[in-house]
Amino acid sequence: MNVFPESISQIGSEMDNLFWIITAVVGIASIITLFLFVYPIVTRKKKKTKEEMYMVGNNHSKRKWIYIGMLLLFLGDIYILIKEHPVWESVEQSLPEPDFKIAIIGKQWMWNIIYPGPDGKLYTDDDVMAYNELHVPVDKVIHLDIKALDVVHSVFLPQARFKQDALPGRTITRWIKLNKTGEYDISCAEICGTGHSIMRGIMYVEDDKTWESTMAKIYKK
Amino acid sequence: MIKHGNQPWQKYIKNKQTLTNKVKQSIDMDTHKKHGFWHRYFFSLDHKDIGFQYLLTAMFMAAFGGFFVYVFRYNLAFGPNDIPLYGDLAAKQYNQLVTNHGAIMIFWVGMPILLAVIGNFLIPIMIGTDDMAFPTLNKISYWIFLLSCVVLLLGFMMPTGAFGGGWTMYPPLSVSDFGYNNPNTTFWSNFFTGNTFFLLAVALEFVSMLMGGINFVVTTLNKRAKGMTLMRLPIVVWMVNIANLLFMFSVGPLIAGAFMLLMDILVGTGFFDAYRGGDPILWQHLFWFFGHPEVYVLLLPSIGAVGEIISTFSRKPLFGYKMVILMVLIAAILSLVVWAHHQFVSGIDPGAANIFSLLTIIISIPFAGMVLSYLGTLWNGDIKLEIPMLWALGMLATFTFFGGFTGLHLGSNVFDIYAHDTYFVIAHFHYTLFPTVFLGGFAAFYYWYPKFSGKMMNKTLGLIHFWGTFIFFNTIFIPLFWLGLQGQHRRIYNYSQWNDLLMQPEHIMARQIATVSLIFLLLVQFVFLFNFFYSLKKGKKASKNPWHANTLEWQTDSPPSHGNFNPYPIVQRWPYDYNHPDKELDYCPQTES
Repeated sequence: MNVFPESISQIGSEMDNLFWIITAVVGIASIITLFLFVYPIVTRKKKKTKEEMYMVGNNHSKRKWIYIGMLLLFLGDIYILIKEHPVWESVEQSLPEPDFKIAIIGKQWMWNIIYPGPDGKLYTDDDVMAYNELHVPVDKVIHLDIKALDVVHSVFLPQARFKQDALPGRTITRWIKLNKTGEYDISCAEICGTGHSIMRGIMYVEDDKTWESTMAKIYKK
Repeated sequence: MIKHGNQPWQKYIKNKQTLTNKVKQSIDMDTHKKHGFWHRYFFSLDHKDIGFQYLLTAMFMAAFGGFFVYVFRYNLAFGPNDIPLYGDLAAKQYNQLVTNHGAIMIFWVGMPILLAVIGNFLIPIMIGTDDMAFPTLNKISYWIFLLSCVVLLLGFMMPTGAFGGGWTMYPPLSVSDFGYNNPNTTFWSNFFTGNTFFLLAVALEFVSMLMGGINFVVTTLNKRAKGMTLMRLPIVVWMVNIANLLFMFSVGPLIAGAFMLLMDILVGTGFFDAYRGGDPILWQHLFWFFGHPEVYVLLLPSIGAVGEIISTFSRKPLFGYKMVILMVLIAAILSLVVWAHHQFVSGIDPGAANIFSLLTIIISIPFAGMVLSYLGTLWNGDIKLEIPMLWALGMLATFTFFGGFTGLHLGSNVFDIYAHDTYFVIAHFHYTLFPTVFLGGFAAFYYWYPKFSGKMMNKTLGLIHFWGTFIFFNTIFIPLFWLGLQGQHRRIYNYSQWNDLLMQPEHIMARQIATVSLIFLLLVQFVFLFNFFYSLKKGKKASKNPWHANTLEWQTDSPPSHGNFNPYPIVQRWPYDYNHPDKELDYCPQTES
């Protein structure tokens, strides 16, 4: 039983790693906490003197174990932050030069996909619109212009570990680069009304040749 | 120089003569003439009666919240047709049930139980006074709360049906059918909709909680018994007050936002309409500025009650009392500046998201300090595993291991890209809120029940209730963590569209385990209901201080008379002198010198 669905992007695998890094930090913290939890319960019947039991913890030296625990967690936190930041920067704060641009527009309850047409430029007269089917080339940097027409939607590509809310009146550009061909899901992750659960698209990741012939077909229509 | 007799409590003592006379009068009334149902539940200003009213109302609302979750979870596991006790479920109703389950459990169960019930029952009696500072305001706050419940439920009878846009009410969805896109609607046709009633109900609930909150804070500051300094207050009183202040600090922006949203719905003002200069993200900021502190508003009273219980049943002082208060204050302040971690992928500036991620992850530190203090209290303790203690330990364990630690996963902005709006988030926040509201709430209930009813609860039924709730709660949500990691996104009526990703046998099985566990969890609550009413009638009589605890409420009768104390207590020490080396007994009430 896998923990995650298969990953089809470099970034996605880095995110999965980050999950395991955080889980490791949390796991160590859990083991220490679990001991502190279980030990006093198991040894509760042991005789103790009143002096041993009357622990008030009213000065720093008596609270030193708590400070040490907090410090350890702080180091764990810092480690997580150091590990996560470069990934965030490459996913969200940078926009590598695109090989191809596509607009994806959420609408109750479907995805409108706009391809740039033969001229390769979005928002020109030869743009072609398709519904719910997104064809992208493998191993290429693709810019997605994400927007919504009516309510807030959210483009969720589970296998690519990609998610971005689609907002009416705003265009948000994000990038993906996928390294495995196949058929994958496009989900809407933000509640958008009665049809929220039928709002599914399919993303076809295709090798260059197949993709070019698909594009030619789409443009012919 | 402070003139003698000018301190609030001194003034209060000075006026005691007249006050006691009043109280005496009502005590006489109590003993001579038992108040009828009508008098007690419609006109009583007694904080205990009002607390009881809040409790019953919240339990009534919890029945709705519980029934709703049963219906939609049944649908997720076994399909939408022929749901026992319900019938067929359509997608629209599914959204309505999901929305109202969330809202009811937070606003109409969590808030009243943890703020109003704990505050009402405990604050006056724990600080050693007869009642709230403003008893009438207290009564009004209850009636407004009841009105808010009625308004919410009336929403289900509107022609358009109940509101179904998610408890977070994100516009434009929460408006779109009315104000923005439909020029044919009128003010009144927009008014009589589930959306408007939902918003009005939330607003009324806030009014009620604000009135209650002001009352709690003023009562705590001004009506403490002689000798009850702030550093001698039981931790739960501190926590309820910090929670109330936090609520007051955070609720303002949401009220402004809710007013704008209401205007958008009723008259189409377009504050959140992107096509007319508005911004849907503005709502999300206003909502979560309140929404995140709200979690702590619920958490703090619960963690306070758990602190009392852990100290009492470990027969040890609460370790690092002052530090716990300080840590909670730090966490409360930090909670005001982490709201956008709910919006990492909503289209906010990715640079700003770094700061919110940092602050969110750092907020784990004060909580670690608090949890470690509680574990320090357990350490070396003469631990008695009574029923309230089991609930308290269960609360602390589930909250820490699953609720708190998965907060680090979601606080990381990178992993949140994937996990946002999946069942991982659902499992995470249920692991924070369920222990807070129910495990902590039941801990408090079982602990203080002998005081307020005068009867002991049945222990065997209590054990069944605890283990049933604890085990089934975990078997609901552990599968949901996994489903979330598998990419199962939220608020989906039917996953059949995602055949390869989410409809494999193991996914269906995980959903069914969660649903069956939920049904058992709900059934176990009937054991509690039975125990509640059965013990009230037939339970063993409770002594004044059955748990051998130190705080003031245990030094008066069970149940306390109208006026609570006669004579008023004079406080000599802090509440946690368990196993004090100079004392012979293993406890030492606050009134003992």
